[in-house]
Amino acid sequence: MSSSRYWRRSLRSAVAVAALVVCARTAAAQPAAGSAATNTCASCHATLAEPKLSAPPAAFARQDVHRESGFTCIDCHGGDRTAADKLKAHDAARGFKGAPAGQTQIAACARCHSDAEVMRKYAPRQRVDQAAEYATSVHGKQLAAGDSRVATCASCHGAHGIRRVNDAKSPVYPTNVATTCATCHASASHMSGYMLAGKQPLPTNQLALYQQSVHYAALTKGNDLSAPTCNDCHGNHGAAPPGAGSVVNVCGTCHAVFAQKFSTSVHAQIFDRGCVECHSNHAVRKPSDAMLGTDAQSLCAGCHSGADDKGVMAATKMRGDIERLKAGLNRSSATVSALSNAGMEMSAQELAVGTARTRLTLARTEMHAFDPTHVTPVVQEGLATLAAVDKAGETATAELRFRRRGLAVSLGAILLVVVALAFKIRQLERR
Amino acid sequence: MVQQVVDWLDERLDLSGLKHFIAEKGVPVHAQEIWYYLGGLTLFLFAVQVFTGILLLLYYRPSSTEAYESVQFIVTRVPFGWLIRNVHSWSANLLIGAAFAHFFSVFLLKSYRKPREMTWISGMLLLLLMLGFGFSGYLLPWNELSFFATKVGTGIAGSVPLVGGFLIRLLRGGDDVTGATLSRFFGLHVAILPAMSTALVALHLLLVQRQGMSVPLRVEKHLKPGERVRQMPFFPNYILRDVLVWYVALAALAALAAFSPWGLGRKADPFAAVPPGIRPEWYFLAMFHTLKLIPSHVLGFEGERLGVIAFGLVAVFLVFVPFVDRRSRDGRNSPVFTAIAIAGVLYLVVFTILAQIAS
Repeated sequence: MSSSRYWRRSLRSAVAVAALVVCARTAAAQPAAGSAATNTCASCHATLAEPKLSAPPAAFARQDVHRESGFTCIDCHGGDRTAADKLKAHDAARGFKGAPAGQTQIAACARCHSDAEVMRKYAPRQRVDQAAEYATSVHGKQLAAGDSRVATCASCHGAHGIRRVNDAKSPVYPTNVATTCATCHASASHMSGYMLAGKQPLPTNQLALYQQSVHYAALTKGNDLSAPTCNDCHGNHGAAPPGAGSVVNVCGTCHAVFAQKFSTSVHAQIFDRGCVECHSNHAVRKPSDAMLGTDAQSLCAGCHSGADDKGVMAATKMRGDIERLKAGLNRSSATVSALSNAGMEMSAQELAVGTARTRLTLARTEMHAFDPTHVTPVVQEGLATLAAVDKAGETATAELRFRRRGLAVSLGAILLVVVALAFKIRQLERR
Repeated sequence: MVQQVVDWLDERLDLSGLKHFIAEKGVPVHAQEIWYYLGGLTLFLFAVQVFTGILLLLYYRPSSTEAYESVQFIVTRVPFGWLIRNVHSWSANLLIGAAFAHFFSVFLLKSYRKPREMTWISGMLLLLLMLGFGFSGYLLPWNELSFFATKVGTGIAGSVPLVGGFLIRLLRGGDDVTGATLSRFFGLHVAILPAMSTALVALHLLLVQRQGMSVPLRVEKHLKPGERVRQMPFFPNYILRDVLVWYVALAALAALAAFSPWGLGRKADPFAAVPPGIRPEWYFLAMFHTLKLIPSHVLGFEGERLGVIAFGLVAVFLVFVPFVDRRSRDGRNSPVFTAIAIAGVLYLVVFTILAQIAS
């Protein structure tokens, strides 16, 4: 499709949606009067053999946030729910719309969800810009361009039996979002024909990769609902891949300090995909110190080589510093732990080891500026803290030796008294 | 030198009665005489507690903001403070162990029979006081484990019928375990319980000295009419043996203090989540585990409440055992009470082990 044709179709669709929304607002969005009265929609559809027609009212009746708020079938589908006759019930003159799809569905949902006055009555804290955001998304743009395969409201939220977003069974609950997106995005047949900007086919392995990530583990195994899933990086109603230049901002939403350090680095100007260059996007694995350095496992070696390469020197220095601090931490922790187990009071030293461990975390953060002059001072502070711990450990070890020697001496003295008493008792009893 | 001091005192106080008592006092010699030493051992450990407790008092500060730090100061900065604190902690445990062993030995030997009913009752009350010492002392370092264990322990007191709510607030000094609870437990530990136990120990010792050691029924039965059990002079023979046992206990205390020191743990944080492994001291474990095993409701009654009532009834029953066990009083074998004592030992051992495994 040529670009001008695409934009003409997009414009026409946008105007159509806007018109639907404006028209609809006039009739919006109160539950039909007497909603508790006769509902021939449900009674008729329940008798239909075709599941496609009988299942929706059943799902709506079981659990649906709209039904709970007093909405009925005709609020989305139009028609006359009091009419016993199918033709009358489905009469377009009585507003019957059928099953809204595509732009009609967006408009049907937006009739209430884009109306602040309506939403204030039912969910006053809920945003009302979903339809506007949707129009900016890849889904919205494709739909406007006439692509009916893209996701619309019901694709993610469901059409009947809609649950609140914070309901753990909702398809858009954080732990379910990835699977919901994967319904389309992991389907090779559904995604066929969609291309990346570089004209390569859009991959369908995002869910598989995401499931290997530290984010997925935090969300599903760690029950951390703040851990990112698809919509946290791509947006939800305005879903689109973040542009290459925006990746740092996207990751920096949570990893703010790392993003800030990275933005000062030389790599910020070089890495096209920002954080993704080292950490990947969907399969973000737990980072390790092995990623830094110049050996075969390191990421730096992918671009830097040669002893006189500045990158090699910087990576070697930073990795060396970090490893030195780690070794010191292991040594001091073991000393403190052994002395604590031996009954020495080492809580101040345990605290100091914790402080040094914080320095290690900070050094790993500073490393994202890719400049050893940022890392070395932090490591030196950590090592100085550990030196004080080791000194206290030596004192405590000497004290422990003294105690045990003292015990041996006192036990010897007690034993002598016990033996003397035993002799005395025997002597007395022989008399 | 010692003789000179005794003579000096004799001139002024006339110690002839005391001298006569000491010279004449004997201790029965028989196959079960070894159990006599448990009383002396308990007394020795109680003395250790008093001595080390007084030393700890010089530095300990009973407030929620300073208690933990003061104990930390004692074990790190005060010369030999670590030794005093460790000996106090270990001795407390050995004392309760020795008191229980003394209690069961007396129970099994039926030494409570006439005319020693008052000795038994004072001993039973002392055992309960020792448990009170353990419960109140556990909180004093104000660490995480003791804080939450006290919360659970005082919570159980709430199950006492009719007065449960009052009892909780009395123990805690409020609705929850706070600094007010620490102040109360400190007062209980260093003033109220010592005063009561000093009086009871004095009474217990007085009765033991006045009535002498009980001879087991089994030994008495083998005596011919008019025959007396062979006696060992109390002074110096028995006293020296007692001192020997005390020295062995002292050696054990020193070894435990040096090789298995009592940890201090983390400072209590009332706002922190309850850490795993919260449990009372070992001597409450059997009861604690029993309460955990009782279903939440039994025949419409609250399970924990029934458990607390049952423990209370058992304690009352034990106090009045000399009056209930009529066969022993009449000098006859009392197999039912022997079975009760053995069942008590088995219950405590098995349930303590089960509680250890469960935690």
